[in-house]
Amino acid sequence: MKVIEKFKNFFKTLPDKFKAIPYKLAKKFAGAKEILVQGNGKVSASMIVMGLGQLLNKQWAKGIMLLFIQVAFIVYFVLTGATDLFGFFTLGTRAGNAWYGIEGDNSVVMLIMGILAILIIILYIAIYIANIKDAYRTQCALDTLKKPVSFKQEVGTLLDKNFHKTALALPVIGVCVFSILPIVFMILIAFTNYGDNIVPPALVDWVGLENFGKILSLGQFAPTFFKIFGWNMLWAVLSTAINYFAGLGLALLLNKKCVKGKAIWRAFPILAYAIPGFITLLGFKFMFSYGGPINYYIQQAGGEAVGFLGLDAKWSARFIGLIVNAWISIPSTMLLATGILSNANTDLYEAARVDGASAWKQFIKITLPYVLFATTPVLISQFIGNFNNFGIFYFLRGSLNVDGYFLASDTDLLINWLYNLSINNNYYSIGAAISLIIFIITSVISLAVYVLSPSYKQEETFR
Amino acid sequence: MNQAKVKVAKAKTKKVLNVLITYCILIVVAFIFFFPCLWLILASFSKSGSIYSFDGFFPVEYGFDSFKTLFTDTVMYNYPQWFLNTLFIASMSCILGTILTILTAYCMSRFRFKSRKAMMKTTLVLGMFPSFMGTIAVYLIMTQFNLINQHWGLILIYSAQAPMGYMVQKGFFDTIPYSIDEAARIDGASNFTVFVKFTLPMAKPMLVYTALTAFTWPWSDFILPKMLLVDRDLYTVAVGLMSLGETEFARFAAGSIFIAIPIIVLYFCLVKYMINGMAAGAVKE
Repeated sequence: MKVIEKFKNFFKTLPDKFKAIPYKLAKKFAGAKEILVQGNGKVSASMIVMGLGQLLNKQWAKGIMLLFIQVAFIVYFVLTGATDLFGFFTLGTRAGNAWYGIEGDNSVVMLIMGILAILIIILYIAIYIANIKDAYRTQCALDTLKKPVSFKQEVGTLLDKNFHKTALALPVIGVCVFSILPIVFMILIAFTNYGDNIVPPALVDWVGLENFGKILSLGQFAPTFFKIFGWNMLWAVLSTAINYFAGLGLALLLNKKCVKGKAIWRAFPILAYAIPGFITLLGFKFMFSYGGPINYYIQQAGGEAVGFLGLDAKWSARFIGLIVNAWISIPSTMLLATGILSNANTDLYEAARVDGASAWKQFIKITLPYVLFATTPVLISQFIGNFNNFGIFYFLRGSLNVDGYFLASDTDLLINWLYNLSINNNYYSIGAAISLIIFIITSVISLAVYVLSPSYKQEETFR
Repeated sequence: MNQAKVKVAKAKTKKVLNVLITYCILIVVAFIFFFPCLWLILASFSKSGSIYSFDGFFPVEYGFDSFKTLFTDTVMYNYPQWFLNTLFIASMSCILGTILTILTAYCMSRFRFKSRKAMMKTTLVLGMFPSFMGTIAVYLIMTQFNLINQHWGLILIYSAQAPMGYMVQKGFFDTIPYSIDEAARIDGASNFTVFVKFTLPMAKPMLVYTALTAFTWPWSDFILPKMLLVDRDLYTVAVGLMSLGETEFARFAAGSIFIAIPIIVLYFCLVKYMINGMAAGAVKE
């Protein structure tokens, strides 16, 4: 009920939020207007040439630095920036031809460099605006006969008031180049025809929503997509539920008063947890392989060797996947639940015991609600982790191609299919479109829960 | 009188039964988790390498041969070199990644600046993307920077992407009371001093947790190294072990054990921090 209420509230406040946008914008522009109207010659000088106003105010170091940034930017823009930016839209016009020795445009590199150019331009504009604001601030200080903040003082704040700017500079740059840029690139690729026959030196083009049409309407992709999607949902729900409840059960079992030597019992699951995942997965693959120990015992008993993970092993492979995944994931849930249970309020149990509640009742009425509440965010991230569990079937079965599926097998999750399509078979744009679809599914689920969860709304509790 | 005795006796048998069942389940669980590990350990001591020369789970003959070949027969499978490569990449990424993650988390927890909420939401949304989908782009960027087939390229990627997972650490910093910061600031300490002298020492459990996760990720990752490393001698252990077939099963087992041991030792030493870290991240994620 509470969730529905929260949803209602969220949507009720939406119109207000939209209405507030013009005001917020107006507030922003009011500041700009003030600078334009009130700013003196030196501010205008900074608007024309970065750092000029600062130099006129005799702020040498800052002025020269800003000037240098502008010169560097112009040099960059003239040398490569402009062509990179242009290339982003055209994605190359000159097709290469090895026969005539023409080196054509590489559309994909052009796309990446284009995104990079846009990022650099945004950064430059931000510095440019900061430069104007700074000149105006100095003017205000001079007008009121105060001493303007010196460059030295400003640098000093970088370790104090503005420590976050210093500290966040490197992480932000790193994340921009190695997380945001690739993801933006991938989103854009979903709207091009990159892949299949069209890989550089052939020229790539923008095609709009064609890829999504290909996936969702009939064709070679659609049937495979829906089959895999169904299994993927089933897999995510089943594996999350199994891992969660088994892990919780194990933690409760180890939490029992009658269990002696808890550390020793706990060591076994932790051992499983500590082994790197690929080793476990490869190990289990060997265990269930044709020559593996399981088949050895079947043959000893007079049976035929079974291809548990073979080409036509649909449900046995899926079942093994679930079990192996449980083997890998239960320990971490157990550790998590142990940590949470150790914070649990013991008074409640005391009271329940006095009232004569059975152990099962205590579990249902006290433990479960408490643990569920505390682990909701983790539950979401586990669900998503399982939804996108790439390793499990990649290692257990490898990249098989099963009849009735297009470049996929019947255990593959969407993420495995994506890998087969884009990395093994060059269907880059289709792969990118699928990953966008995965993203939409997972993000809608988790963003909704995250925004509605108390841990987001009550973030300021500890302040 | 008699009835009461029966009742007590009944309760007692119930309790004993309860304990008995509990221990039975525990033994089964321990067996389930331990047996595959035991199997790999036994396999690594098998005299013949192929999986076909096993009596089910147990090798026919025991010996140290597979360990010997693992470290001496380096023509095709240069395991010692792979191990050093992995150690180098993982430790460097661990150091750099931990520093960046902790800094990010601290700023996000302690400072209120304009783009903060936007940044938090962006990282959250970006985290939803299938992580390796960007690898094609990362690969292209690395070719542009000329960092293909180099360990530093991998280290750069691992440590640059580490701050994306700052949420758990931020949750931890949120629980450190502000009063300490404020007291120090009244004494004239700058934010930088507060961070280095007060917050960091208090965040030791979180530092350990962060370092551990930052170490294990490159230690067992296979997608990026498989993509970026071409020369066999530059491989990490994960990529190298993947190239071993069923006939090299014992060698695989020996190599696995060797790479799993450091992590296992680390985990057992730091399990307390792990539990605390996970619980902190769970409550305030």
